Amino acid sequence: MLQTVLQLLATSLQIGAVYVLFSLGLTLIFSIMRVVNFAHGHFFAISALIVSYGVEHLVAMGFSVLPAYLLSTGAGIAVALILGAIVYQFGLRFFLRDMEGAFILTMGLALFLDGALLGAFGGAVRSVPEIVSGDVSFFGVAVTMQRLALCIAAVIVTVALYWAMSATKLGKALRAVAADHEAAMLQGIPYGKLALTGFLIAAALAALSGALIAPVSIVSPVMGSDYLIKGFMCVIVGGLGSVPGAIVGALFIALVEAVGGYYLDSSAATVAIFVLVIVVLLIRPRGLLAHG
Amino acid sequence: MDRLRIPWWLAGGASAIAATVLIQDAYTTSIINLIAIAALTAASLRFVMLIGEVSFATAAFVGLGAYSAGVATTILDWPFAVALLVGPVLVTAVSIVFGVITLRIKGPYFTLIGFAFTEAVRILFSKTEFIGGTSGMIGIFPPPAIDAWLSTIVMAVVVACVFALYAIEKSDFGKVLVAIRDNENIATSVGINVLFCKVACFAIASFCAGVVGSLHAFANNVISPGDFSFLLAAFALAYVKVGGESSILGAVFGAIILVLLDSYALGLGAGENLFYGGAIVLAVLLMPNGLIGLVTSASRRLARARAGNGPTLNRKTA
Amino acid sequence: MLGEDSPLLKTTGLTRRFGGLLAVSDLHFEVRRDEILGLIGPNGAGKSTTFNLISGFLRPTAGRLEVFGRNCTRISPIKISRMGLVRTFQHGSYVRTARVRDNILLGTVHGLSGAGRTDRNRRVEETAEILGLTPYLDNSAGTLPHGIQRLVSIAIAFAARPKLLCLDEPLTGLNQTEVATTLNVFQAIRRDFGCSILLVEHNMKAVMSVCDRIVVLHHGQQLATGTPAEIRNNDEVITAYLGKRHAK
Repeated sequence: MLQTVLQLLATSLQIGAVYVLFSLGLTLIFSIMRVVNFAHGHFFAISALIVSYGVEHLVAMGFSVLPAYLLSTGAGIAVALILGAIVYQFGLRFFLRDMEGAFILTMGLALFLDGALLGAFGGAVRSVPEIVSGDVSFFGVAVTMQRLALCIAAVIVTVALYWAMSATKLGKALRAVAADHEAAMLQGIPYGKLALTGFLIAAALAALSGALIAPVSIVSPVMGSDYLIKGFMCVIVGGLGSVPGAIVGALFIALVEAVGGYYLDSSAATVAIFVLVIVVLLIRPRGLLAHG
Repeated sequence: MDRLRIPWWLAGGASAIAATVLIQDAYTTSIINLIAIAALTAASLRFVMLIGEVSFATAAFVGLGAYSAGVATTILDWPFAVALLVGPVLVTAVSIVFGVITLRIKGPYFTLIGFAFTEAVRILFSKTEFIGGTSGMIGIFPPPAIDAWLSTIVMAVVVACVFALYAIEKSDFGKVLVAIRDNENIATSVGINVLFCKVACFAIASFCAGVVGSLHAFANNVISPGDFSFLLAAFALAYVKVGGESSILGAVFGAIILVLLDSYALGLGAGENLFYGGAIVLAVLLMPNGLIGLVTSASRRLARARAGNGPTLNRKTA
Repeated sequence: MLGEDSPLLKTTGLTRRFGGLLAVSDLHFEVRRDEILGLIGPNGAGKSTTFNLISGFLRPTAGRLEVFGRNCTRISPIKISRMGLVRTFQHGSYVRTARVRDNILLGTVHGLSGAGRTDRNRRVEETAEILGLTPYLDNSAGTLPHGIQRLVSIAIAFAARPKLLCLDEPLTGLNQTEVATTLNVFQAIRRDFGCSILLVEHNMKAVMSVCDRIVVLHHGQQLATGTPAEIRNNDEVITAYLGKRHAK
C-alpha cells in the first residue's frame, strides 16, 4: 500500500516537473499581458526537436552525450527566444490585454508553426538518448537518474524564478504590472518593454521544459498541443496569473493524472481532470490560490 | 423600431438557395455546404457574444447534435425530419442546465469552463462504444429521395436560422442582452432577471449549434469525436473576428473567406497549415475590426472626404 | 396589505459591517407616500451603502428592511425592483453603447413584457418627454454631455413607473438651469404619478428646496431626521456638515 502511494507520488512529481515549467510560462504571460498564448506548445516542441536533432548530429561528429545535450538545449532556447521576439514585435504587441484577438492571432500562429515544423523536421517521431543513465531507489521506489535529473532541474529553475520575481528589480516590476498595469505605468514602469521581457522569459521556460522532456519522452512536431491543454488546466486550477498557483496547479493535475492513470486509464484520467477544472472554476473561479 | 431590412435578406437568402439548386458539381456543392455550416456555427457563437461571453461549449453542442442525428438515423431508424430535430432539441435542454450552472461565472473563466467541457465531452464520445468510439459513426445518409436536394435543405435551414438570430438581435430582447453585456446592474435595478436572459440567449445559440451538428452529420455522412474538439469553436471565433464582430453578416463573411481559403490550402498539401495559419495571422493583424470594420471605416472616411469638398471652399473675400 | 398611511420603505436598526468597518449602523427612517426624502451627509457617511441595502444589492448585517409593507431584509434586488423600488447608480447608470431610446426601453421591459412593442415605445416616448430627452432619443448615450446622461439614467429608472424612485446623486454635473428643470421634473413625478422619491444629493440648495424631509448621515450613523427647516437649525448637523451659511 505504502509502496503504491510512494510510487504514485514519484510519478506525479516527474509528470509535474515538466507541467510546472510549462505552466509557469503560460501564467506569466497571462499575468502581465492578460492574454493566453495558444502557440506556447510550439516553443516547447521546437526546442525538443532541436535538442533531438542536435544531440544526434553532435554525437555523430564526435561530441559526448552531455555536452551535445547542453549545446542543443542552448540552441533550442536561443531559437525560442528569437521566435518569441518576432512574435511579440510583429503581432502580440498589438493585442495586449485583448484576449480574443490574441487568441485568434496565436491560434493562427500555432497552425502556421504546425506546418513549418512538419516541413522542417518531418512528421516522424524521434527520441533522444538518455543523458544520465542508471537507476536510483528512494524508499523502495525506483526512479531513473534521467527523470531525477529532470525533477532537480525543474526545482532549480522554479526556485530561481520565484526568487527573481520577489528579489530582483525586474521581478518586482513584473509583479507590479501584473497587479495593476495602469498604476505601474503611472509610476513610469515601461509596460511594453516588460511585456516583451515577460513573453521572452515564458518562451525560454517553454523551451527549457521541452529540452528537459526530450530524453524521457517521444519527440514529434505535434507534442505541444497535449501539453498546451494540460498546461491551461494547471494554470486555471492554480489561478490565472499566479506563479505559486501555477506550481500548485501543475502538481495537483499531475497527481490526478498519475492516480487516474494507475487506477483507470489515461483518457479517464483526462476526463477527471476536466471535471475537476470545471468544479474549481464554479466554486473558486480565480483558482485555488486566489485571494477569495 | 429597427428596420429588419427584409428585402435584402430575402434577396440574399434566395440567391444562396438558388445557387444550391443550380450548381450540380459535387466538389462545389460540398464547399457550399461547408461554408453554410461554418456560417451558422459562427453566427451561433457570435450570438452568445451579445452577452459578452465566448462559449467554447458550442463545439460540444455541435457534436451532441451530430451524434443525435447519427444515432437517430443509423441505430433508431427514425425518419429524416425527426432525426434532424432530435439533436437541436436535446442540445437546447442540455444547454439550459449547463447555462444555469455556469453563466453565473463570467469572462475568461466562463470560456475556460466551456473549453474543459468540450474536451471532456469529446473524450467521452471516443470512449462510448455504441456510437463507434474513436472511429465514430458512418452511414448517416438522408433518405434517397432527399439526397439530391440535401445541399438546398442545408442552405435553407442555415439561411432561416441566421435570419432568426438576426431578428432576435434586433428585437427588444436583443437590446436587453446588449445592455446586460455593458451594465448588468442597471438591468437588475429595473427588474430584469439577468440570469434568465443570459440562459435564454445561450439556449437559442445552442439550439443553432445543435442544428449545425445535425446538418454536419448528414452532409458529411461520417462523424468522429475528433471533429468536435475545442478547435471547432476556435475556428468559429476566427470566422467572427475576421469577418467583423459588429454585425451578424461579419460571421457569415468571415466563414465564407476562411473556408474558401482553407479549401484552397488543402490543395497545397503539406503547405496547408502554413497557408491557412498565415492567412489568419495576417487577417487579424491587418483588419483588427474584421472585414466589416474595414468597410465601415472606409465608407466613413469616404463620407467625410465628400463632405469636406463642399462648403469649406466658400471663403470670404477681403 | 399596504394601508393608506403605511410607509413605502421602512428601515429598523439597519446595520452593515465590512470586516472591521462599520459602514452604517442602526438606521431608522422611512419614506412615506407622495414624499420626496433627501439623504445627505459628507463623503464616506454611508449613503451609497444605505442605497445598496434598501435596494437589495447588499445584505444587512443586522436590522430590518420593509418595502411596501413586506419584510425584504434578505430579498434579492430583482424582487425588490419588481415590487416597485427602482434605484439609479452614482456612476454610469446607463448603457454607454446604446441609444437613449434603447436605454429607456430597459425600464419598460419587465413591466410591459407581455404588452408588445407599441406600448413599450409609447412608454419610452412619454418618459423621454417628461425628462426633456425627446431631441436625444436616437443619440448614443455615451456621446452625450454629462448632464443629459444623468437624465438618461433617471429616465431608465422612471420608465419602470416605480412607486419609490431612489436616485443616487442625480444632479451632479448639472448647471443651474438644468438643476432647476430637474427639480421640477421630480415634483411633476411626485404629483402626476404618485411616485415617492428618495434622493441622495450633495447640492444643499436643491435638497433644501425640493425635499419634504431630510435624513442626515454622518460616519454611518443617523445624525438627524426632519423637515428642511428643522435640519437647517439642528446644531449637530450644522457643526458636522452644513456650516453656519445654511443656518438661516
